[in-house]
Amino acid sequence: MNVGETSAARLAKKAGWSGWELDLGPSAAASLVGVTTGTTDTRERTRSADVGLVVIAAVIVAAALTRPAIHDLVARPAVANFATVFVAIVLQAVPFLALGVTVSAAIGTFVPPGLLPRLLPKNPAVAVPVGAVAGVALPGCECGSVPIARRLVDRGAPGAAALTFLLAAPAINPVVLVATAVAFPGQPEMVVARFAASLLAAVVVGWIWIRLGRDDLLLARRSPHVHADTKGAAFLQIAQHDFLNAGGFLIIGAATAGALQTIVPRSILTSLSGDGVIAVLALACLAVVMAICSEADAFIAASLRQFSPTAQLAFMTVGPMVDVKLIALQAGTFGRGFALRFAPLTFVVATSSAALVGWWLL
Amino acid sequence: MVVAVTPSGGTLTALVGLLTLRLTIDGTFTRYVQSGMRPWLLLAGVALFALGLFGLVIALRSHDEGAGDEADGYDDEHEDEHEDEHGVGVGWLLLAPVVTLLVVAPPSLGSYGVDRSPPIRITAGKSDLPALDPSGGPVEMTLLEYTERAFDHDGESMRDATVELTGFVSADGSGTFDLARYQIACCAADAAAAVVHIVGVASTPPRDQWVTVTGAYSSGSSDVPELAATSLQEISAPKDPYE
Repeated sequence: MNVGETSAARLAKKAGWSGWELDLGPSAAASLVGVTTGTTDTRERTRSADVGLVVIAAVIVAAALTRPAIHDLVARPAVANFATVFVAIVLQAVPFLALGVTVSAAIGTFVPPGLLPRLLPKNPAVAVPVGAVAGVALPGCECGSVPIARRLVDRGAPGAAALTFLLAAPAINPVVLVATAVAFPGQPEMVVARFAASLLAAVVVGWIWIRLGRDDLLLARRSPHVHADTKGAAFLQIAQHDFLNAGGFLIIGAATAGALQTIVPRSILTSLSGDGVIAVLALACLAVVMAICSEADAFIAASLRQFSPTAQLAFMTVGPMVDVKLIALQAGTFGRGFALRFAPLTFVVATSSAALVGWWLL
Repeated sequence: MVVAVTPSGGTLTALVGLLTLRLTIDGTFTRYVQSGMRPWLLLAGVALFALGLFGLVIALRSHDEGAGDEADGYDDEHEDEHEDEHGVGVGWLLLAPVVTLLVVAPPSLGSYGVDRSPPIRITAGKSDLPALDPSGGPVEMTLLEYTERAFDHDGESMRDATVELTGFVSADGSGTFDLARYQIACCAADAAAAVVHIVGVASTPPRDQWVTVTGAYSSGSSDVPELAATSLQEISAPKDPYE
C-alpha cells in the first residue's frame, strides 16, 4: 500500500461524503440506490472485520467462562423474572421485526423515488388519513412499522402521513381487532371503540404534526443508501441494516420493560383502580411501561376488570402508539429530538382520544 | 453516507436467527412465547440466518479485496458521523440476548411474578356453565376454567365432581398453599396468573414446585377460589408451562 493510494482513497471518501450532503436536496432520492466506488469505505470495513468478529468471539468466550456465575445470578427469582420477560419480548418481536424489515427493504429497493409523492394527495392534510388507511391494511406489531415508516419518509412521503401510518398500523389492523373481539366476548362496542379511538388519535397526531411538527427532524436521520450492483443485493443490505438498527433499540426497550415489570409491585396499580380520570391515566401509563405487543394487549386490558371500560380502552389505545420499547425504537430511527416531541404528543392525544370515545361509546 | 455490510453485523444477524431456530426446535421457546408462534419463529429464524450469512459473505469478500489497506494511518475526523452507517452501531446490543441464551435459558415465569402480573378477575354469576360429569373420574381442567366455574353460582357446575389441576406453588402456608399458572396471549410479558387456594394438604410443597392436585371445590371466603385437596403429586415442569 503506498501513500498515493491512501490519499486517493481519502479523496474518494470525501467525495462520497459531500455527495451525501447534496443528497439532502430535492433530487436526493434519485441516487439512493447508487453504485459507489469500491474504495470509498474499504478501510472501515477492514477494521470492523478485524475488531468486530474478535469482540463477538471474546464476549461469547467470556460468557462461557463465567457460566456458573451467570447460572447463580439467574437462579435468583427477581433476575429470572427479568430475564424471562426480556427474552420473551425479544423472541416474540423477532418474526414481526423480520416482516417489518422485509417490507421496509422492499420499499427502499423497489419503490421508485418520486412514486409516493405522485400517488399521495398533494395536500398533506388529506394525505394523513390515507396514511391511516394504509396502516389498517398492514397486520403487524409496532416494532415492525418503525423501519417501514422511515423508508416511507425516505421515499418522499409527507412526514405527517408516514407518522400516522406508524401509529395506525399496529393499533387497528384486522388481527388486533379480532384479538380484541376475542378478549371482550359479548362486547362488540369495545372493538368499535378501539377502532375509533385509535384512528382518531393517529389522524389527529398527523394533523398536529403538519402544524407544529418538524419534518427536518425526520429528515436529519435519512436512511443511508447502499452500494450494490443488483436490486437483490440492495434489498438484502437494507434489510440487514434495518434489522440491526431496529433490533438494537428493541433490546433497550425490552430490557426497560422487563425491569419495570420486575420492580413495580401490583399494589401501586390496584390502588389507582376505579372510575374517573385517575384510572384512565393509570392504565395509559401502565401501557407505556409494560410494552406489550398490540396483538396481546386486549387480553391484558380485559383482565384489568377493576378498572373502568374507558380506562381499559386507554390502555389499548396508548399501548400500540407509545411504550418504552417504541420510544427507544423511534429515538434510534428518527433521532432523540424527534422522540422527545413525538412520544409526549402521541401520549396526550391517544389518552384524550380514548377518554372521548369511551365517554361516548362505553 | 453508505451502508456497509460488516462481517460483525452479518454474524450477529445470523446468530439471532440460529438461536431463534434452536429455541424453537428444542421446545424451549414455550417458556417465553405462546406455542402457536412456532411456524413464524421457524420462518423468521431461517430468514435471519440466511440474511446474516449473506451479509457475512459479502462483507468478507469486500474485506479480501481491500485487505491491503490495513496498515495505513486513517484519520478519524468523521468517526462520529459514520459510526451508525459503517459499523453495527446499536445492533451490538443484540449480543445481550444471544449471550444470555447461549449460556442459560431463563426459566418460565414463576412465583415471583404472580404478585406483579395483572390478576385474573372473573365477575360472579355472569354465565351458566354446564355441569361436570362426576362419574368418569377426576376432571382435568385449567386454573382459568376452575376460576370461572368457581365464580359461576358458587361452583354449582362442579358439585360432586373431582377436579384435577396442574400448576406451580406460588405461596405456602401450613396445610394450605396457592397454586398458580399463567395465561399468556402472546408472550411472557403479557402473562396474567390464575391462582387457586389449596386447602387440606398434609405437607406443603416448596415454592415454584410444579404439582398436580386433585380434590373437590370448596366454598372459600376470599376472592381466590378454593380447592379441598384429596391427593397431591409433585411433577416436573410441563412442556408448555402456560395455559
